Amino acid sequence: MSTAVHLDEITKRFPGVVANDDVDLTVERGTVHALLGENGAGKTTLMNILYGLYEPTEGTVYVDGEPRDFNSPADAIEAGVGMIHQHFMLVDPMTVAENIVLGNEPRKWFGTTVDRERARQEVIDLSQRYGFDVNPDDTIEDVSVGVQQRVEILKALYRGAEILILDEPTAVLTPQEVEELFEVFEELTAQGKTIIFISHKLGEAMHAADDITVLRDGKNVGTVKADETSNEELAELMVGREVLLEPKSAPREPGEQVLTVENVHADDNRGIEAVTDVSFDIREGEVFGIAGVDGNGQSQLVESITGLREPTSGKITYKGRDITRASRRSRIDDGMAYIPEDRHERGLVMDFDLVQNGILGSQHSSKFSSGGSIDWSTARGHAERIISEYDVRPPHADADAESFSGGNQQKFIVGREFEREPDFVVATHPTRGVDIGAMEFIHERLLDLRQQGKAVLLISSKLDEVQGLSDRLGVMHDGELMDIVDPRNTTEEEIGLLMAGEHPESAESETDAADASVGDAR
Amino acid sequence: MSAADGAKSVLRRLVNASTVERILISFAALFMAVVVGAVIVLVSGRVATCQTAATTLFGLGFCYDPVEVYLVLFNGALGGPFLLDSPGLFNPNWNPLNFGFALTLKETTLLIFTGLSVAVAFRAGLFNIGTQGQLILGALATALFAFFVAPFLPSGVLGGLILIPLSIFVGAFVGGVYGAIPGALKAYADANEVITTIMLNFIAAQVAFVLVSEFFRNPDSQVVETTPLPDWGTLLPVAFPKGGDFSLLALAFGLGLVVAVWYLLEQTSFGYDLRTSGEQPEAAEYGGVDAKRTTVTSMFLSGALGGIGGAIWVLMVMGKWQAGVPSLGFDGITVTILAGNNPFGIVPAALLFGTLKSGSLAVQFGTGVPKQLVGVLRGLIILFVAMPEFFRMIGSSISLETDDDAVATDGGRSLLGGDDE
Repeated sequence: MSTAVHLDEITKRFPGVVANDDVDLTVERGTVHALLGENGAGKTTLMNILYGLYEPTEGTVYVDGEPRDFNSPADAIEAGVGMIHQHFMLVDPMTVAENIVLGNEPRKWFGTTVDRERARQEVIDLSQRYGFDVNPDDTIEDVSVGVQQRVEILKALYRGAEILILDEPTAVLTPQEVEELFEVFEELTAQGKTIIFISHKLGEAMHAADDITVLRDGKNVGTVKADETSNEELAELMVGREVLLEPKSAPREPGEQVLTVENVHADDNRGIEAVTDVSFDIREGEVFGIAGVDGNGQSQLVESITGLREPTSGKITYKGRDITRASRRSRIDDGMAYIPEDRHERGLVMDFDLVQNGILGSQHSSKFSSGGSIDWSTARGHAERIISEYDVRPPHADADAESFSGGNQQKFIVGREFEREPDFVVATHPTRGVDIGAMEFIHERLLDLRQQGKAVLLISSKLDEVQGLSDRLGVMHDGELMDIVDPRNTTEEEIGLLMAGEHPESAESETDAADASVGDAR
Repeated sequence: MSAADGAKSVLRRLVNASTVERILISFAALFMAVVVGAVIVLVSGRVATCQTAATTLFGLGFCYDPVEVYLVLFNGALGGPFLLDSPGLFNPNWNPLNFGFALTLKETTLLIFTGLSVAVAFRAGLFNIGTQGQLILGALATALFAFFVAPFLPSGVLGGLILIPLSIFVGAFVGGVYGAIPGALKAYADANEVITTIMLNFIAAQVAFVLVSEFFRNPDSQVVETTPLPDWGTLLPVAFPKGGDFSLLALAFGLGLVVAVWYLLEQTSFGYDLRTSGEQPEAAEYGGVDAKRTTVTSMFLSGALGGIGGAIWVLMVMGKWQAGVPSLGFDGITVTILAGNNPFGIVPAALLFGTLKSGSLAVQFGTGVPKQLVGVLRGLIILFVAMPEFFRMIGSSISLETDDDAVATDGGRSLLGGDDE
């Protein structure tokens, strides 16, 4: 077996972020190689480099043992590398055959006219060779997504691809189509093609790949053989345990109940139930964490608690008062701080400067306004204090929120919410996008609040973060609160299985858990 | 760089333009409009037939002289401070308090109110096209209120001091309520305010027409109009000639409202709610702003300003309500776009409109240029000056982030994390 692709110490930097950090990757010819990792781990960037869409900042790409310098996908195709993106690039009203030959059409009459008959025949030959079930005369808009994907693969093969890269190929497919796709993989590798596919689903990688490389935070954290590894090992690699958190302060005796959630149901924006019968409580001096793969109802639960979404049923009590239908403002006024999930949409008004953003949510509070008029000089002082205490860079209170980097925007929001002197903090992904130093600072502040007897609800898809900071940890799956565990006496694997919707006790859960996207962290 | 990228970068440049740059852009646009207009005047002057050429260029005779047209336009708007026969010479008989200038300021004053009306709604993210309807009903309410209350008041200055503020208030209130209707429809029934306000314009015009023609018609008049108010119940011209339909008091009131609207938007908690809703509704919701209430209140406010415009039209210009209300409300949309929705910007924008209106009358009477062509020149100026601001509005409402920007602002997720969506 020879090496088809070798990426040697690839580093890719974008302004403000390192997408790939010194990544090595070796893919053997005739194998299926899965690139596994969380959102933002740098998988697609790495493959875009191999496909010539990006140039690496450092490092070299070898294809068939030769160093390559791809300036565009055309160069990559020339070298036999084809990529099938998540969003298909097909012309809907044209036929399957026309789409496949598009750009490389066989010609007749001295190259003046497309030879449709030959094109059609070539497509038929090609699909027969790989056992593809496609009709060359169907128009793209009439065929299923699974067939469209096969057309994309045929398109790459038609251009002579020996190495096929597929970006999240299963994301758009039904389970049956996924099976069919994996059969296609087998057929292709049997004929000597090499396949690299991007995924964040453990089960798929285990099932379809020969080798699995796990990326985390832009780094290659390990390449393993699929038949020599386990779901647990992969989950561990993906989620990672290295980020060290400060050892937490001594356990506290929790005080009064601050927030009680009872049998809450909530819908998502499409009207589909996203939160199903969730109940828990949070006490003074306690950090209650919620772990779970993104999109399992955490957002809707948090919005129900903070007043941005009305639950369809159930009851939410805050400081002894039923707030199920209370307005967002009354909750803010009652000492509820909220670090929102989406800082661009909610947390900051992008066209406002930081002075104006600093009073978002407090614009009616007596701290900043009297008689309906806002005291802008107090507001400015407030913004400047947040900027200096939370190290927002550059320290320009007059700059629009939009002009700051994601991490600095986040620091400003965290600062604003903590400076509210809240009784209860809802923190969703509070450290998303911030550097390690700021992360530790935010963690310390959260623990300070806990020490002062405040209640904290922490939602994060970083398992180590919720596990390290929480006193109690709820795990959500498919809208339900699977269990509430003591994070100190529970292993990551057990939590991972809960995140996948399985109780660790039941041993037969393994296959189901494998299909779940453990560690689809954002 | 593709054409789309090029367009995006131009838009981005426009969106990020500073105030000074925007003013310079406006003047440059004005200049360009004059240049283009001059060419059109020349070309039409070539194809038109006339006895004697107004100007001769390159041995060709042209019926209209573009230089003259523009000089007359701007000179006429000021009531003729220059003697155009001997260029550059100051007219010794010129009095700033003249009819031409009064006409300019009359139009300016009315457009300040309607411009403010539209601006308030725009700032709240509401596309209020209904200022015209709000103005029509506000005007009618003012005229009827003043007509029915006047007999109970002492005539003269004292009566005017009581009647005029009350009438304006009634006009504002009725305009406000009429504005609040589409606001409530938007807030509670999710009805698009663009559609509802346009429809309500027709309704307002027809309802007012029927009311006046059936119930409140002046029996002595051939046209559909209410009975004229007594002179003491209308706004006095103050210093300007009496027939100019312009009152300095109304202008002062308008300028006062400009400051008041600015203060409301920029310095109050309510204004903060309103602007946040307009900029980013999700963030407003997060910040505890009651979106429904803010929508209704903003629309009431916008309608009230439109209603005041109507009241001033009745009290300053007509002295009565008359069918065929001029399209001040629609012009207000252009005025506020021109002003970048900034209350202070509305004053020069309205002044430009007033100048063009009054100046084009002067061109019509003072030169042989047909009024349709004058209309083209006006339209060109408005189009040219408004377009940069219009594109700014479009630019700031669509995402112009390049891939690199996205990386910098969201930690790279759009590029790196797009795979897992």
